[in-house]
Amino acid sequence: MKKNNKKRIIFLGVFCLLLIIASFLYTAVFNDARFIAPMDMSEYVFRLKDLPVIISGILFTLYILYIFALLVKAVIINRHKETEAQYTRILNPRFGYCGLFGLFGFLGFWTYSVDKTVFPFVFFMFFGFFGFFYKGKMSNTFIDERYKENKIKAQITADEIAFSIIFIATLFLGQGSLMGNMEYTLIAFVISVALSIALKMFLGMYLLYHYDNDCIDGQCNESGE
Amino acid sequence: MPDFECRLKKYRQMKDLTQEQLAVQAGVRRETIMRLEKAQYNPSLKLAVDISRIVGVPIEEIFIFK
Repeated sequence: MKKNNKKRIIFLGVFCLLLIIASFLYTAVFNDARFIAPMDMSEYVFRLKDLPVIISGILFTLYILYIFALLVKAVIINRHKETEAQYTRILNPRFGYCGLFGLFGFLGFWTYSVDKTVFPFVFFMFFGFFGFFYKGKMSNTFIDERYKENKIKAQITADEIAFSIIFIATLFLGQGSLMGNMEYTLIAFVISVALSIALKMFLGMYLLYHYDNDCIDGQCNESGE
Repeated sequence: MPDFECRLKKYRQMKDLTQEQLAVQAGVRRETIMRLEKAQYNPSLKLAVDISRIVGVPIEEIFIFK
């Protein structure tokens, strides 16, 4: 990203933030703290004094959309660069430790018992990040035809296994409620899908490393002259 | 089990090329050449043609499919 672009993003962000602070101060002092204090929006009637908060809110939303658009653009450009690259990305195998975030998935059992929230179960997907241990080991590898072939083979195998698990889980859980409770059934399904996605991510990276680095007759990447 | 015989090693050594040198010229990794010589990798037609040109031997002399 160019330096001017960074400056523009920061400037716009600071401007939006200051605008929101100013409008909230204005509404707190001159407009009975409307939009700050809880209010019933179904009975909302427009007042001219609401304008500063509404305008700052719209501008802030536009800013967030702008950031999101930049993010999408950056991802697309990076993908394009990756397909043209001759070497794999440089990645530290220690990123594999991010897989430990998957343990946050167990929080779901606690949040479900407290307020029936099931969202944390999705964190089980992060177990897939353990695959970065292997992706890191394949850092800066020259992408030749054998690498491409192995990558496709690894992805297909990982997809097949993950989709088979999802299919079996759907078939099994779709038969009826688990332990007589529909909520348990849906939780089990969310966990199955999250773990299947994690497995797909992990296997894609693990199998590629495995296919690419298997020893030949006990010789592992030695000269073989 | 390999379904073809590869005589690349013989012709490479006749040309006095190392695996690394052949790999660089063919635009692949040395590990790929290593697997080719062990007949554990079935190359694309382009790679086979490139290799045959580099070692100066016809493809059918290098890769013998049973």
